[in-house]
Amino acid sequence: MLEQIAPAVSGVGKASPVQGDTAIRSARPVQETGSDFGSMLAQMAGDTVDTIKSAEATSVAGIRDKASVQQVVESVMAAEQSLQTALAVRDKVVSAYMEISRMAI
Amino acid sequence: MSDPLKISQSIAAAGLDAQSHRMRIIAENMANSQSTASTPGGDPYARKTIMFSNDFDEALGANVIGVEQIGTDKAPFRIERNPSHPAADANGNVKYPNVNMLVEMADMREANRSYEANLQMMKQSRAMVMSTVDLLRST
Repeated sequence: MLEQIAPAVSGVGKASPVQGDTAIRSARPVQETGSDFGSMLAQMAGDTVDTIKSAEATSVAGIRDKASVQQVVESVMAAEQSLQTALAVRDKVVSAYMEISRMAI
Repeated sequence: MSDPLKISQSIAAAGLDAQSHRMRIIAENMANSQSTASTPGGDPYARKTIMFSNDFDEALGANVIGVEQIGTDKAPFRIERNPSHPAADANGNVKYPNVNMLVEMADMREANRSYEANLQMMKQSRAMVMSTVDLLRST
């Protein structure tokens, strides 16, 4: 269990800015081998980064008058929802990890 | 994408887009309600109409609204007698656009209402997603 959670936590922790992208991408090939919990989290984080990237691109296009207000708002809202979901899941995973590390042996 | 709440948000966004196109056409009609031809006896600005269609979005996997075509109203032009006008024909009649301001105002209100309805749809879907995610948070 711990071995599964630990890589996922390190991956999700780096998810906040777009720079952490490579770390998440490198964790991706694992997902083909099986549907374990860690790779599921890694894929989710990768999808979140993709959504945020497209929101950024649309925002820049909106400033340059290449995208409509509706498109900008839609993509930013999608990114916000993905980010909030990722944050909630991360908090839950971290608290589970802490709970396990507090276990009396 | 398979999350129905996300899909409904995208559909509502397409609705917003369609209604803003409609507003654009109405603005054009209103602004040109007095635009005559520049040559004697020529046709003035013809009222534009907009048609919507139910398109299938491949990426979304759902039917969304789209602008089918922008056409022109075939109603006859309003004719006024004004021999001194540059666009007057041999009899001194000037053709004015077939734009009825009352109709345009009514269309504008309808576009506004549709826009608000779609906005409400987006707000509600977003609230539903967020309150579901909040289940994870409250400990």
